[in-house]
Amino acid sequence: MKKAILILALVITTVSLFAQKKITTSATISFDASTSYDNLPRATNKTGIGAIDTKTGSVAFEANVKNFTFANPTMQGHFNGEKWLNSDAHPNFTFKGNIADPSSVDFTKDGTYKTEVDGVIGIKGKEKNIKIPGTIVVNGGTLSVSANFSINVADFDITGVPIDAGKVSKQPKISVSAELK
Amino acid sequence: MATRKRSWLKKLLVTGLALAIIGAGIYWYIATEKFGDTKGEKAAFEVNAIDFIREFRKDDSAANKKYRETIITVNGRVSELEAPDSSTVNVKFIDTTTGDYAIFAFQEQHLAEAKSLKTGDSVSIKGSCSGLLFSEVLGYYYIPFKRSTLNK
Repeated sequence: MKKAILILALVITTVSLFAQKKITTSATISFDASTSYDNLPRATNKTGIGAIDTKTGSVAFEANVKNFTFANPTMQGHFNGEKWLNSDAHPNFTFKGNIADPSSVDFTKDGTYKTEVDGVIGIKGKEKNIKIPGTIVVNGGTLSVSANFSINVADFDITGVPIDAGKVSKQPKISVSAELK
Repeated sequence: MATRKRSWLKKLLVTGLALAIIGAGIYWYIATEKFGDTKGEKAAFEVNAIDFIREFRKDDSAANKKYRETIITVNGRVSELEAPDSSTVNVKFIDTTTGDYAIFAFQEQHLAEAKSLKTGDSVSIKGSCSGLLFSEVLGYYYIPFKRSTLNK
């Protein structure tokens, strides 16, 4: 009897822990570094990983650099090359942070919540503090997350002639869209 | 003398123009080139999904060297389907002993066929392998694919 109660308690705890952490392995993360001179530097990754802990408000995302898909093969090659993102050495873009104001989102109540996430973004081995505004829609236990922001490529030692020549934006726009369950 | 100089100059201009046109053509070709439909591409390897995932676990350096940035046909039973929005359908093969998985993002022209799949279906998927990664967020290894299509 005692064993059965212990096992039941363990199962309930495990289930509630999983319910606390919402996860996706299909986040869509896009960047657009195009300019008026060149429309090509833009790509999307549809296999981003994301997690939000609804109890602590912690937020984490990661996206494999090589799985960003360009329309143009040459651009894809350059992007992953040693002189640019060097994806062999730095395979992931990462973000770790927290919802800045925990009271801005009620994960127990369906609704649309505007909030801000405060954290650290990691690109090409460099990390930078960043505040990202976003929207979280709570619907029956599922979280739909969206965010749009820009970064400075110079902050991550991403340089090159195309940037100086105005063919790649110095402040690419990044968008994140994910459904976490 | 003047005639010879003019003739030489003319040849130089014509050669310069020809090179400029060729250069512009090469630039235009590179700039407008697009990835083809993966359905029409020949796979370098054909593998079973779970064996493939375990091959990476056994020796990730060798497997990455062998498979990364190649077109691979992977056969298996659909473990999970993820369709968070109308433009995304991802298919996953999961090794239930470890939680490691391979995930396939489909080319736009093949989304409809991916949407017709169900969990448990036996499928053959062809895509470009991005290699093995460890997810700090999940604590599993995963192998993402891009530009995928059903292999029929």
